[in-house]
Amino acid sequence: MNRVVNRIVPKSLLGQMLLAVGVALFVAQGISAVLLYRAAEQRREMSYASGLAFQLIAQPSFDFRSKSSNRGHGAGPVWRRIRVEVTSAYPLRPGEKRDSRREQSLRSILSEQGVLPAQLLVTTRKLSDDSYVLGRLRDRPDLRARPEWSNGEFVVAAMLRPGEKAWTVARLPLASSQPRQLGELIMQTLLLYVVLVGLLALLLRRITRPLAALTRRLETFAETRETDGQIEPSGPEDTRRLIAAHNAMEASIAALLDEKDVMLGAIGHDLKTPLAALRVRIESVPDDAERAKMAATIEDIARTLDDILSLARVGRPTDPLEPTDLAALVASVVEEFEDMGEPVILGTGERVALPLRATWLRRALRNLIGNALRYGERATVSLRREGGDAVVRIDDDGPGIAPGDLARMMEPFARGEGSRNRSTGGAGLGLAIARAIAVQHGGRLVLANRPEGGLRVELRLPTKR
Amino acid sequence: MNDPAPTRLLLVDDEASLREPLADYLSRQGFIVRQAEDAAKARSVLLDETPDLVLLDIMMPGEDGLSLCRHLTETRHLPVILLTARGEPMDRIVGLEIGADDYVPKPFEPRELVARIRSVLRRATRPTATSEEDSPYEFDGWRLEPLKRKLSDPSGNVVPISSAEFRLLVAFLNHPRQVLDRDRLLDMVQGREAHLFDRAVDNQVSRLRRKMEDDSRDPKLIQTVWGGGYRLAADVRRLPPEHE
Repeated sequence: MNRVVNRIVPKSLLGQMLLAVGVALFVAQGISAVLLYRAAEQRREMSYASGLAFQLIAQPSFDFRSKSSNRGHGAGPVWRRIRVEVTSAYPLRPGEKRDSRREQSLRSILSEQGVLPAQLLVTTRKLSDDSYVLGRLRDRPDLRARPEWSNGEFVVAAMLRPGEKAWTVARLPLASSQPRQLGELIMQTLLLYVVLVGLLALLLRRITRPLAALTRRLETFAETRETDGQIEPSGPEDTRRLIAAHNAMEASIAALLDEKDVMLGAIGHDLKTPLAALRVRIESVPDDAERAKMAATIEDIARTLDDILSLARVGRPTDPLEPTDLAALVASVVEEFEDMGEPVILGTGERVALPLRATWLRRALRNLIGNALRYGERATVSLRREGGDAVVRIDDDGPGIAPGDLARMMEPFARGEGSRNRSTGGAGLGLAIARAIAVQHGGRLVLANRPEGGLRVELRLPTKR
Repeated sequence: MNDPAPTRLLLVDDEASLREPLADYLSRQGFIVRQAEDAAKARSVLLDETPDLVLLDIMMPGEDGLSLCRHLTETRHLPVILLTARGEPMDRIVGLEIGADDYVPKPFEPRELVARIRSVLRRATRPTATSEEDSPYEFDGWRLEPLKRKLSDPSGNVVPISSAEFRLLVAFLNHPRQVLDRDRLLDMVQGREAHLFDRAVDNQVSRLRRKMEDDSRDPKLIQTVWGGGYRLAADVRRLPPEHE
């Protein structure tokens, strides 16, 4: 049930507001329509009663001829009404019911005029049942053509004055215009709805458009973390202030990140230059073995420094995404290892081209293949498409990772065996960098133990962003 | 090297702790080294003498290394090797684009620096004009930009290739539709850095095919010629060099 409601109710602010207003308007119009209909009904009843009373009192001497028209010439009707009948017969046909409400209102009007009938009967009757009217209409083609008479039903009122023997019978056609009134009401409601909803939509667009732009901007900023392309505050004051506040926050985040970059650049520069000086100076160490060890240590420090700098910069890459043949990229990294005589096998792969940063991705793949070789002796690399992802899979034949440690291994400075022994290589940043690079491309890194032994690392990159 | 006169170097770096031992080391390797601690000093040294090559630090107070590098390569046509502590891939491209001949990240192995100095000097004495070497190639919808070593396929995707594959491809592109036998290819691709290219030509050709051919068992672009050799089966067009 809830699910159905969720599907029907619109999600956006604009949709929800329009729906709420639409429903409220419909209910309000419905209530007002009922009230209007009732008032009209009452008015009609009053006009029937007074029309009938007039005929009954004025009969039969009053001439209903209208003043301005000539008989037979004008387009308009000459006789509005059928002459009042005076009869001694009982006016109700067998089976006809008296309409007590109409009798009551007619009686009250008559009494206001000083007429107190001995008997008063009101009923409704079909044209075909009334021989008097049919007879009158036979002589009156002009009346016959009028819809209110030809349509059929009319009210019949009969009055017997005290002391008289003959009934005075007046007739009024019943208006059959109820459906048209209802139609008018619906039209009116619709018109009101269109005008209101139109205005409301305009107003809401003024609010929701800047909001939508702000949402898009947030998404872009989350990805690029650049302050370029900030949106101008627009819309109502509340939205403007929101946008202005957001812009200010963006600027301060970007400033923080810039500061971090500058600081890391400075650290890199300040540490690498003395490291380079040291590297030059050890060339004068006469003992070859000693010098080689020193050189290895310096290289180690330099590599760790590079890793830290990369990890810090990976979130704000300076190079653009370029459509690249991922298969060729994977092959070229595998070939580097092949050239160094490392046991890396390149499985058959598909051609997958997607926008990426080749220098970063190359680094991620080097880290992953390097890890597989270090801990798993042999690496098998393949590329495949799975759903919307391009998946680079690196399998090794090592011992794998304890299941509880799988997630922790991707944290910076995490290393296997719970040790910080440098002889197994690296500062424990390789996987963290690879994961950050995957995230930089909108993808992820998945670690799993293979059922047949060894670790399986998958770098999954979405082919559509 | 068979140069009769010793090579003169200008070393520009604001860090005395690196500059002085490096100058000592290079002197012991047989170079004549002049030192400058900033760009202004370097410019004044250049008024008196013209070194064979300039080693230039990028990050210096005052005028930075990139700006001095532009001056050296554009007006003095001197070979420049940039020394840098940053080592971001983009820095490398920027450095090479403004005309530096090589780019060495700190810390470097001094022996490798010497090898690179020699390699750059060897290239600089060759008659080929660099601007022509840098102009992009177009063939069969593909495009190769030598400066960036960037190969793009007909639909515009970058196809990453190694430096050995790059040199092999350039050899083919400079001799389109000609049959090149293995010895000739080896000569052409080994010219500069022999130590980077000692694998069989066949192996490199098959790697290149894997990246460029739709079906590497039925190659259309780099064809095998019966009797020993390969041929690029496409016409090649050189575009005017790109300047940013």
